[in-house]
Amino acid sequence: MRVAPMGTRVCPRCGSPLHSRDPLALQKVWAWWFLGLGCYIPANLYPMLETRTLVSSQSDTIVGGAVELAHHGNWGVAIIILVASVLIPVAKFLALAGLAIGVWRGSRRSQTRRHLLYEIVEYIGRWSMIDVFVVAILSSLVQLQALATITPGRASLFFALSVIFTMLSAQSFDSRLIWDSLGGGDGKEDLAQ
Amino acid sequence: MTSDDTSPPEPPVKTAGPGLLERVSVIWLLPLAALLAVLGVAWQSYAERGPLIEIGFENASGVKPGTTELRYRDVTVGLVEEVSFAPGLGHVLVKVRVDQEVAPYVDSEARFWVVRPQVTARGVSGLGTVLSGVYIEGLWDDEPGAMVERFDGLADAPLERVGQSGLHLVLRASGKSSLVEGAPILYRGIEVGRIGAPSITADGSTAQAEALIFAPHDRLINTATRFWDASGFSFSLGPSGANLDFSSVASLVSGGVTFDTMISGGAPAETGATYTVFPEEAAARESLFAGDDSETLMLSAVFEDNIAGLAVDAPVELNGLRIGRVTALNGLVDEERFGDSRVRLLTNLAIRPGRLGLDAEQGIDGAGRDAALALLRDRVGQGLRARLASASLLTGGLKIELVEQAGAEPAQIEPFGEDGLLLPTTDSEIADVSATAEGVFERINALPVEEVMAEAISLMQNTNRLIASDETRALPGNVNDLLGDARGVVGAPEIQALPGRLDGVLSDIQALVAQIAQEALAARLGATLSDASDAAQGVSDAVAGVPDLVAQLDAVAKKAEAVEIDAMAAKLTELIGTAETILAADETQALPGTLNSALEELSAVLAQLRDGGVVENATAALGSARDAADTFAAAGRDLPGLISEAEAVLTQARNTLAGYGAESGVGRDAKTALREVERAAKAVSSLARAIERNPNSLLLGR
Repeated sequence: MRVAPMGTRVCPRCGSPLHSRDPLALQKVWAWWFLGLGCYIPANLYPMLETRTLVSSQSDTIVGGAVELAHHGNWGVAIIILVASVLIPVAKFLALAGLAIGVWRGSRRSQTRRHLLYEIVEYIGRWSMIDVFVVAILSSLVQLQALATITPGRASLFFALSVIFTMLSAQSFDSRLIWDSLGGGDGKEDLAQ
Repeated sequence: MTSDDTSPPEPPVKTAGPGLLERVSVIWLLPLAALLAVLGVAWQSYAERGPLIEIGFENASGVKPGTTELRYRDVTVGLVEEVSFAPGLGHVLVKVRVDQEVAPYVDSEARFWVVRPQVTARGVSGLGTVLSGVYIEGLWDDEPGAMVERFDGLADAPLERVGQSGLHLVLRASGKSSLVEGAPILYRGIEVGRIGAPSITADGSTAQAEALIFAPHDRLINTATRFWDASGFSFSLGPSGANLDFSSVASLVSGGVTFDTMISGGAPAETGATYTVFPEEAAARESLFAGDDSETLMLSAVFEDNIAGLAVDAPVELNGLRIGRVTALNGLVDEERFGDSRVRLLTNLAIRPGRLGLDAEQGIDGAGRDAALALLRDRVGQGLRARLASASLLTGGLKIELVEQAGAEPAQIEPFGEDGLLLPTTDSEIADVSATAEGVFERINALPVEEVMAEAISLMQNTNRLIASDETRALPGNVNDLLGDARGVVGAPEIQALPGRLDGVLSDIQALVAQIAQEALAARLGATLSDASDAAQGVSDAVAGVPDLVAQLDAVAKKAEAVEIDAMAAKLTELIGTAETILAADETQALPGTLNSALEELSAVLAQLRDGGVVENATAALGSARDAADTFAAAGRDLPGLISEAEAVLTQARNTLAGYGAESGVGRDAKTALREVERAAKAVSSLARAIERNPNSLLLGR
């Protein structure tokens, strides 16, 4: 197997353009990031879960539901929900933005720590769907017709989209870019182009 | 450098800058699209959202922002967005976002009310809202109108439903009739309308309620229509029997009103016309000719006497005809008018012009009233006065009578108070029952009861004294003695022996008579003697001196014949006379009476026995005995038959037995015969065998 030498622009075999670094990686990160953030806003404004029982119907947003649970004394569950649905996504947004800005502007923090952060973000990404899973399971299980029905609210869709977009955003991020700032790398040149 | 010489000049490298696609990622299209979509949706929802209307309610029980819906024909056409208070906290403002498509129809005619679960005697409504929560129902017509933003919600559902129209009336309850919200208006048993929520009229005298007659039936209503209460039931007992009357079970429970157009010629009813609901059909019919309470002429009358007994609703009569009633009673002190400060009786009278024959139905409102007033003015000028009169002697109730008094002081109907009219009065004519009764008692009181009593007492004392005197006391004893003497006379041995003696005398007489019978013997003796005398004659003829003997004999015979009998006859006659005197004696005369009384006693005893049912019982017992005897006799009568039957049976049995016996005899004989025959046969067979064995024996004899 031959590796095309450095600087080869076009694949000798198929003619596809070759890059050592995706020149548009950061743009993609930002694009997905903005989409994810955009979806995250309605995910918090719209109700996540609509519970309809014989005598009442209730619809709760993510934070509202957590607060209500806390009011009822379920601090543990409330904290889990807050962590899984608010803290982690927000931290993810901040982390991704921080990484992208760090690559773009240069960062004083060490590359090792930034890479660790990226690893964590990417690892955690798939677990962010836990909220959506809970909603999906509840709404499929609790379908007792007139007695009690749980249907996913609009927020669940937006939340899922938000998670998907942030995951794509994290995937679009090329972790090598962190290390390119060390200097001497060809990638830096590539990026400059 | 080398490069300058040998190598060909570098081919112009095309360093075309990266294209737009290379510089800008396609991914950016996604957030862009999302942004556009969001903007588009936002704009659309803003553009399509309907107007916000405000509905004022007394309270907002169950109304929740964002949940409670506005419905029209049970289709959701809006959503409550906000619940707030009106300025001053007077009521609740519910802000409803109405859908764009129905918004033009929500004009000033629109009405809104909150549908809640309701359980009434008429049924259960709005049950669905128990689970789903309340909703606001809207009602508007199908004509688009100008947009109105502020509405007043109704406390209850209006009478008409969507798609229903009809004639709106006002029903006014009169007397004991009642108006129940939601109660049906029935016509011939069919629900043709509905009564709304009743309220008290401004003057507080009656209750009234809005009513709706549904569309095709509203032509049944005209000005001659009368309504009456159909709720409950009426029970009447008359010459045609008992009559139980009620319209429907539903109206029995929840109340209802029915109507009828009693006479023809009414003008079509107008929306909002007022009708009186009468307690019963009869009153409704009557009202048609008498006018109803609404058409009354109000008068006042002041009476000098302030007498208990006059009450509200007491009749006002003219020539015995009831033309009105007393509506109010009051004390009145009016020094200016009457000159002193006495309390007078002020009565308010409601006169019905219809009762005076002044038809209140025709013409404009108040025409009958004016006519009645004019009539009364005229009559008062001729001496018509009001006075109190007794209505009932028993209860002491009073009524007001309008009477014409000839020669009364001239008077007229005067204005009184603010807009009242004062009817002149005259002295009361009260048949005071209590006073009359008092007079009666006074008269009774005035009777000399005491003297009468005293005299009676002295009379009784005298009588007592007379009775208690010794002479009077001795009287019974004397009478007793007298009776005892009489009994003694009757029971004396002489009298007792009288029958015996009488018997003896009679037997003597009998003997005498027998003796007299024996006189025939004497006669024969006489004949013999005459023969003898003939003989003696002959003898005497022959013998002298014989006639003396004969004469002596004759004398003896004569003595024997006459002397003793005469004396005895005289004695007998004497005896009979004595007996006659005895029999004629009073004691003897009384004997039959005693006997009679004894007989009567006996008969009384018998009657008693008969009354006591002894005779009947005895008769019944005898009858039973006779029945029993009859039965026995019948049985006895049957007995011979039975016996004969038994005999026949026995005979038959005997015959049978005899036959059987005979048969058995025959059998025995037959058996012996058979045995003989058998023996004979055996003998024959042995003979045959012997002959077979030894045919010669036939010849040889062996």
